[in-house]
This record gives sequence, C-alpha cells and structure tokens, in this order.
Amino acid sequence: MGLLYLVALGIALTGMVMLDRRFGLFFWRSARTAAVVLVVGVAFFLVWDLFGIGLGIFFRGETDFMTDLQIAPELPIEEVFFLTLLCYLTMNLYGALELLRARRAERA
Amino acid sequence: MSYWALNAIFLAVVAAVALAAIVTRRAPRWASVAVALAVVLLMTAVFDNIMIGVGLVGYDEAKISGAFVGIAPLEDFAYAVAAVILLPSLWALIGGARDRRSPHAARTNNAQTSENAAQTNNAQTSQNTAQTSTPKGTGDA
Repeated sequence: MGLLYLVALGIALTGMVMLDRRFGLFFWRSARTAAVVLVVGVAFFLVWDLFGIGLGIFFRGETDFMTDLQIAPELPIEEVFFLTLLCYLTMNLYGALELLRARRAERA
Repeated sequence: MSYWALNAIFLAVVAAVALAAIVTRRAPRWASVAVALAVVLLMTAVFDNIMIGVGLVGYDEAKISGAFVGIAPLEDFAYAVAAVILLPSLWALIGGARDRRSPHAARTNNAQTSENAAQTNNAQTSQNTAQTSTPKGTGDA
C-alpha cells in the first residue's frame, strides 16, 4: 500500500490545471467542449486498458508505490488519473501550440 | 491476441474519428498535432521507462513484439499517438473551433486580440468561417 504514485499524479494534474487556467488552454478555452473531450478520451483509454488486461497482455505490477485500490481486476485506481493526465497534457499542449501559432501570426 | 493486434483496433477507431473530422471539414490543425505528437512521444519514452522500471506495470512477453524503447514496449507508444490524434479531432468535431476566441480573451493584451482573431480566422480554412466569425466578432470587440 503506497500513495507515492497517486500523489505524483495529483501534483502533475494540479500543474496541468494551473497552466490551463493561466493561459486558457483547455477547460478555460471551452469548458463544455473540454469536459466532453476529457471524459470520452479517458473512457476510450480505459476500455483499451480493460481489453489489454482481459487479453492478458499487461497487468498491474508488484510495487509499493501504488495503493491496493483497483476499479477492475488488474486496473489500479491510479490508471484513471494517469489517463486523465495523458489527455489533459495532450490538450494543454495542443491549446498552447494553437495559442503560439496565433501570436506568431499576430507578429507577422 | 497480440498487443499490436489490440492496438490496431483502437488506432482504427482513432483514424475513423480523425477521418470524420476531415470529411466534415472540422479537422484540427495538423501542424500543431504533429508538434504535440513529438512532445508526447518523448515524454512517453521517459515516463513509461520510469513506470515500468519501478514496477507499476508488467507485460506478457509472449504477447508483445519484443521491440523496445529502453525497457518500454514499442506498443505502449500507440497510446500517445492515439491521444494526440483523437483528442484534438474530437475537440474540433464537437466545436472547439467555435470557442477559439477564449485563449485570446484570457490574455492581458486585449488591444491586439481582434487583429489576432482575424488572422486566426484567415489562416483557418474557410470551412468554419460561418461558425467562428460570429462569436469572435462579438466576443472580442
């Protein structure tokens, strides 16, 4: 039983939210659209995970860095936060690149 | 079923969504997608190696190809590819384009915002003009 991974994911996600709020990248660009994209994205990757686990391709590792909480066999609660981070990071990046592109156009 | 076969199915879903965005003329900006892809692939290479290294996840060696980046199976990178194509495509499909004024509105430099928005509009393919110009014109004025 360990909290380290969950805490690390929480810190990274907090950073994503702060960047989003400061620069208007994802939820602060369009909250409704972002909510749909994030929920659909996380659900999509969770289904992908469940098939990978069901097919015996990958499985939860033996480690002290994770809690023992699992939302399905071999699917740790941490994975939900990891996938949320993956999706948030991706859309923050995309939003930031769009913003940079707009600023370059403005300077040109 | 191998990890690659599983990935092929989910990447096909991603391709279908991207195609839907293209044919409905709501595609994300692919140049931004490409740069995001490079960054997320690089971060996957770093953090997947750490996650596997500390034992967060294990793999059935009989079901992976044996191609690795460090100790990370190459198949894992399909998640990064999927995220970077699927999510901006969904964003554009659902109507993120309509809200493109928002990042500008969040900025402090309001004087240049409308000019900025106008250029964003021009650079965009003309297909979304009807949707994007109206909120921009009113929102940034």
